[in-house]
Amino acid sequence: MKKHTSRFMRSVLAAGLTLTAALPMLSLSASADEPYDVYNYNYLGEAVPSQAGYLAERSVSGLDLGAGALNSPSDLFKDHEDFFYLVDSGNNRILKIDSAFTEVVQIYEKFTMPDGSETRLKNPKGVYVSPDTGLIYIADNENSRALICNPDGSVVREITKPESTVYDQQLTFLPQKILCDNAGNVYIVLNNTTKGAAMFDAEGNFIGYYGANSVAKTAAVIANHFWNAIASEQEKRYRARSTPTAFDNFDIDSVKGFIYTSTSSGSSDTDIVKKVNPEGYNLFDYMSNFVWGDLFSTWYSGTSYKTKIVDIDIGDDGSINCLDATTGRVFQYDKEASLLFIMGTVGDQVGAFTAGNVAAVETKGAGCENVYVLDATKGTVTVFGQTVFGQIVHEATTLYNGGYYEEALDPWLEVLKRDGNYRRAYLGIASAYYNMGNYKDAMDYAKKADASGRYNKAFERYRSEWLRDNLTWILIVIVVLVIGVIVLKRILRRKQEAALAAAKAPAKDSWVEQAVSAALQHKEEAEHAPQKAKPAEEPASETAADAADGAETKQ
Amino acid sequence: MMDLTQPQWVKHVVFHPFEGFEDLRWKKGGTLKYTAIIIVALFFALIAYDRWCGFQFRPLPDAQFSVVPYIMRSVVYFLAWVLGNWAICTLLDGEGSMKNICIYSSYALIPYIVSTFINVVLSHVLVQAEQVFFSTVYYVGLIWTALLLFSAIKAVHQYSFTKTVVAIVLTLAAMLVILFLAVLFLSLFQKVYVFFYSLYTEILYRVRV
Repeated sequence: MKKHTSRFMRSVLAAGLTLTAALPMLSLSASADEPYDVYNYNYLGEAVPSQAGYLAERSVSGLDLGAGALNSPSDLFKDHEDFFYLVDSGNNRILKIDSAFTEVVQIYEKFTMPDGSETRLKNPKGVYVSPDTGLIYIADNENSRALICNPDGSVVREITKPESTVYDQQLTFLPQKILCDNAGNVYIVLNNTTKGAAMFDAEGNFIGYYGANSVAKTAAVIANHFWNAIASEQEKRYRARSTPTAFDNFDIDSVKGFIYTSTSSGSSDTDIVKKVNPEGYNLFDYMSNFVWGDLFSTWYSGTSYKTKIVDIDIGDDGSINCLDATTGRVFQYDKEASLLFIMGTVGDQVGAFTAGNVAAVETKGAGCENVYVLDATKGTVTVFGQTVFGQIVHEATTLYNGGYYEEALDPWLEVLKRDGNYRRAYLGIASAYYNMGNYKDAMDYAKKADASGRYNKAFERYRSEWLRDNLTWILIVIVVLVIGVIVLKRILRRKQEAALAAAKAPAKDSWVEQAVSAALQHKEEAEHAPQKAKPAEEPASETAADAADGAETKQ
Repeated sequence: MMDLTQPQWVKHVVFHPFEGFEDLRWKKGGTLKYTAIIIVALFFALIAYDRWCGFQFRPLPDAQFSVVPYIMRSVVYFLAWVLGNWAICTLLDGEGSMKNICIYSSYALIPYIVSTFINVVLSHVLVQAEQVFFSTVYYVGLIWTALLLFSAIKAVHQYSFTKTVVAIVLTLAAMLVILFLAVLFLSLFQKVYVFFYSLYTEILYRVRV
C-alpha cells in the first residue's frame, strides 16, 4: 500500500516537474523580446500565458527628439492630426512632436496674452487639443490657471479660480488635467476636491462640477449615514462624513462625446474607471463588480501591490487603455471593457517602467497600431508596436463590436490558432456561428467561453430546429408508447381477472401447491393401505413413557 | 392487511406522507439494505446535479473533481443526522431505535433524489426562459422530502407535533456539535500524526549522522 502511494506521489511529482520545466519555455517562446511574461485572463479568471499583442519597439528620450532631457514630464496627448504634445513639467514647456515620434516640431514656452503681454508656464500638468477648433488647452498648475491658446501660442482665454459661491473660496485652484468637449465646455481635474471635474462653458464661466465618483456602499458607510441621520447638529460637526474618492485623470472619446475618468486611489474599488455621458451619468455603473487591471493584488513583504490606474486613453477605435503605476502595465480593453492585451512591466529595459512614476499612456492609429507610455522618472516615452496577433485581434474586435459577427469569424479562428486561451475568440466564434444558423457549433463555443446566456440562445434555436426535423419520429414514438401502454394494461387486467377467477374457485392457487397437495394425498393413501394390517402405535407410547419417567425423576 | 413487499413499502411510505411511516412502524417494514441504496443514490444525485446539468442552468463544473464534498454532503450529513437524532430522542423519550431512524429518514429522502435526477434530465431539454419548471420540480422535491422527514421522525419516536419540531431543531444543533467535534478530532489527529512523523524523521537523521 505504502509502495503504491509513494509510486503515485513520484509520478505526480514528475508530472509537476515537467510542467514547471515546460512553463518558462512556453512563456519564453511566447515573448522572446519582452522583459516580462505576456499573460491574459481565461474564463476562470486565472492568469494564463498568452501571445503578445504589442512589442516594445524603442524608448525615446528628450535628447532623441532634439529638445534636451525631459524633467518630470507629466502628460502626453495625441491630437486629431496625429501630432503629439508632451508636457515637460520640470522645464515648464510643452513639446509638439511629429507623428512618427522622432523629432520635436515646436516648443511652447512663452505665450502672448490677449492684452499683448508675455506669459510663461509654471509646472504645467496637462494638455489637450480640440479636434474641432484646434485650440490648445493647458493645465498650468502652479500659475493656478488654465490657458486656451491658438497653435501659434497666442492665448485666447485664461481660466482662473472661479468666483462663484459654488466653488469653495478657501480652496486653491490647481489644474491637473484638462480637456474640452464638442460644445466647447472645458473640464478641469483639480487635486483638492471630490466633487468631480470643474466645468466651464465656452466663455470660461464656471458652471459646476461634473462626473463625481460615488461612495461605495460598504457596511461602514451605511452605518455612518444612519448615525449621521439621527445625530444632532453639534454632534454632526464632529462626525466623519463619507466622501467619494476623486478621479485624477480623464480622456474624452471625441467622436461619441463620452468622458472616461480613472481613479488611482487605492482606498476605493468602485468607479475606478467611469464612462460618463454629457448628463454626468456613469454608463459603466452596471459593472460595479468589474475589476480593472489585475484581477488579484499581490502581497509581498507586507506591501500590497494593487492596480493603480493613473492614466486612461481612448483609442481611435474606441479601445480603453489604462496605465497601472504599480506594475507598469498597460491594460488594453475594447470599448465593451473586455480585456484585449496586457503589456509593460517595472524595470530598466525597453518596455519596462519606473514603479509608481509612469505618467501617461497614449495610442495612435485607427486600429491602435501604437501605444506610447510616458515614464516620468526616466523622462522617456516607450513606443509599443502591434504584432500580427495584435492586428488580428483588433480587426476581429472591431468587426465584432460593430455587429459584423460573420465577417469576424475568420479573424477569430485565426486568433484561436495562435492562442487557444483567448476567451474572446470563443465568444466571437459562438456569435458568428449563431448568426450563420450553425447552432450546434455555437453551443460548443459558447460553452468553451463560459457564456451561459449565449449558450442558452443557441440551445433554444437548436432545440426548435431539432423538434422540427424529428417531428415524424417523435410522433411515431408517442403513438407507439400510447398503444403499448394500452395493450399492456389490457394484458395485465386479463391476468388479474384470471387470477381472481382462480382464487374464487376451490382449487389451490398455484400449480406448485396443487402438485404438492396431490402428491401428499397420494402418499397418505399409500400409507393408509398397510396401516390397516399393522398399526404403528408402539413408538408413540414409548416416548410418552419416557416423558413420564422424566417427570417422575424430577419429582 | 398491509402485507407489502419491501419495494411496495417504499412506494407506500413516499405516497402517504401522513400515515405511511405509522404503517411502516406497525408492520415493522423497511430494511437497511434500502437505506444504503438510497444514500448511494443521493451521492450520485448530488454529483449529477453539479456536473451533468445542462450548461444553461448550472455553471460549468470545476476542471478538478473531488469526491470528498459529495461524500460529506450525502453519507456524513446523513450519519450525523441519524446519530444526532438518536442521541437527542433517546433523552426525549423517543421510541425509535438507531436502525429505525436510519431506515425512516432515508426513505424520506427519496422525493428529493428523484426530483434532482428529473432536474438533471430537464436541464438538457429546457431553456432559461422555462426555468420555472426546473425550480418547481426542485422545490416540490425539497418540500416533499421535508414533509416526509418530519413525518418519519414523528412516527419513529411516536411524538406529538410540537415535540417533533423541538426534536428536529435540537437534532440540527446536535449535528453541528457532532461535525464540530469531528473536525476537531481530525485536526487533532493530524497534529499527532505530524508530531510522530517529525519525531521519526528526526531520529532517522540522527541515526544517519
